Amino acid sequence: MNSSLTVTKTATFLFVGLVIMVLSFYVNSAIAAQPIVIGGSLPLTGEFAETGKLIEKGMKFWAQEINEKGGLLGRPVEFKIYDDESNVGKAVTYAEKAITVDKVDLLFGGYPGTAARAVMPVAEKHKFVYVSMGGHMKSFEQGYTYSFGAPPLMGEWWYEGFFQWMETVPADQRPKKAAVYTMNNPVGASLTGSIQKWTKKLGIEIAIDEKYNLPLPDATPLIMKAKQLQCDMLFANGFFGDGVMMIRAAKALDYNPKAILQGIGSVVPAWIKELGKDGDYVFSGTSLFNKLNFPGNDKLNEYSKKEFKIDGYPLYFGFGYAWMQALAQGVEGSKSLDQTKIRDWLKSNKIQTIAGSMTFDDKGLPEPINFCTQIINGQVELVWPLNVQTAKPVYPKPAWK
Amino acid sequence: MNSTLIIQSLISGVMMGSVYALLGVGFSLTWGVMKVINVAHATFGLLAAFFAYTALQAYGVDPLISLVVSAPLLFLIGCTLYHLLIVRITSAKAVIVSSMILTFGIAIILENLMLLLWGADPRLFTTSYTSKVIIIGPFYFQYPPVIGFLMSIVGVTLLHLFLKKTYLGKAVRAAWQQPDASQLCGINLKRISAITFGLAVSTAGAGGLGMGLLYSFEPHSHNLWLIHLFLVVIVGGVGNVLGTALAGVIVGVITGLSMAFLPYQWVNLLTFGLLMVILVVRPQGLFQSEI
Repeated sequence: MNSSLTVTKTATFLFVGLVIMVLSFYVNSAIAAQPIVIGGSLPLTGEFAETGKLIEKGMKFWAQEINEKGGLLGRPVEFKIYDDESNVGKAVTYAEKAITVDKVDLLFGGYPGTAARAVMPVAEKHKFVYVSMGGHMKSFEQGYTYSFGAPPLMGEWWYEGFFQWMETVPADQRPKKAAVYTMNNPVGASLTGSIQKWTKKLGIEIAIDEKYNLPLPDATPLIMKAKQLQCDMLFANGFFGDGVMMIRAAKALDYNPKAILQGIGSVVPAWIKELGKDGDYVFSGTSLFNKLNFPGNDKLNEYSKKEFKIDGYPLYFGFGYAWMQALAQGVEGSKSLDQTKIRDWLKSNKIQTIAGSMTFDDKGLPEPINFCTQIINGQVELVWPLNVQTAKPVYPKPAWK
Repeated sequence: MNSTLIIQSLISGVMMGSVYALLGVGFSLTWGVMKVINVAHATFGLLAAFFAYTALQAYGVDPLISLVVSAPLLFLIGCTLYHLLIVRITSAKAVIVSSMILTFGIAIILENLMLLLWGADPRLFTTSYTSKVIIIGPFYFQYPPVIGFLMSIVGVTLLHLFLKKTYLGKAVRAAWQQPDASQLCGINLKRISAITFGLAVSTAGAGGLGMGLLYSFEPHSHNLWLIHLFLVVIVGGVGNVLGTALAGVIVGVITGLSMAFLPYQWVNLLTFGLLMVILVVRPQGLFQSEI
């Protein structure tokens, strides 16, 4: 009797165990098949729509690629993307919604810097890892621990590469006097620190250091002043519209400094397309570029050629891809969707992106990125550092034709 | 401060201000004559700039020549819009507010249309003369502002002569000054208003082209241009064509001089501070409100 009871008990246990095993297999399979949802917002309409759509395409190319390889942690990934209509307030609302209502697994980085800067505290409040371009150095100095710039877009680093190269130019061939014109906003302000530091170091006198409010009504008086004071170096720290006005005024007034640096406006493709030859020889900086010789860039360029019919992927397509690359490595490295584990892994490991390999400091920033670009014959070329150089810098700038 | 820089700044300011004036006269006209504040005025100007850009890029047509097509086209668009939409609000109690709401909607539709057709990228007119310059002594005259200045002189003069010397122009003035009496004299108020609106939209095309010669433009640029419109019209006096033109030049002179004398971040503050002062001291504008 006892032995038969024991057999029955054992059989029951075995049966229950088997049921649990089968059920858990199905449950696990069901979870494994459930996609990882990555949420947030992008400016898909409104002022920044063009760029927002490029970021979206970059992110989706990354998703397509990773899903073809079996997904993230063995699960497919999918996006829940809200259109914030280029409105910072809406970007914040949608970040909150993605985290608290949609209960997304991961958060993706937004655009522009003003939106990213506003979403960073939201991510911090909910302890969500947020990989984006950030909103210049100030945004990374707020003590956030879940935000990463991979790569960031930092005005403070914009001219680092240029000045590092200028340091290699013999002292007697360097410019002597600089005219610095900067748009009066946080982006412009982020550019000036490195100019002050480096010009002092290289013995270049800043003869003019002026700010202007946007929109700039006319650049002629600015250029005339720079010409009269014989400034042989011009910093035009502005967006496209004012940057173009400076260049056109410089040409009209036959002002020929040895070097022209244009902070932000010259990185948009319209600079070359619209200005043509007049846009040549302008120095700038970047934290990502399609001619970088790091793994992955070729693949993105191929895709761009096929999909967009252009040589070299658009910058923000690359950013969308790179931010997802970083986030994915955090997930795979920590083997978890636990945000704190992802954060900790990213803080203590090196990641590989199309912008190069990077490790992060306490602020969530990599080592300063110092790619210096120059437009040469209608092409953006990397002129510094040497390991990524695609063309030698043209210096001094040839006179206007 | 040297005299060359001051005079050069003054020259630049006058040329820039005259283009604002060209863009502003039509805005002033509809506001003064019809009590319609056409918030989409600058958007029509931008449309003409994009039209000229496409003609230049695709067919190599000079932007000035494209105006031969775009100005009459905008006139027709203006007349049609008047008959379809504007006329419905002219009898409203609060025409000004209603017109602002209606034309704001039109501006949004047009902006999105431009985004769809041309994308959000900034554009520039690059012609054989955009980089050219006339040098007289120590002074530089860039071709695009000079062309904008000449366009403004021609445009404002033509509009002024039309209003003062032609029967139709006199009818427009009469309709504004004495609407009831003018109707008794056989003036068809609706027809006159449609022509006025069409004419105003048409001048916006010329002004938009002038702005395109001075600045880069994108589908959102009209918002910025609109601020300048309000500035010159309020300074010049609503409905006063010559007043608006003079206000444009005054704004240009102040901008130019402040660029020479003040740090650049003060320029906009000073210009718009002027607007505030005029609104307080002389709300009807510097010049008598008469077309």
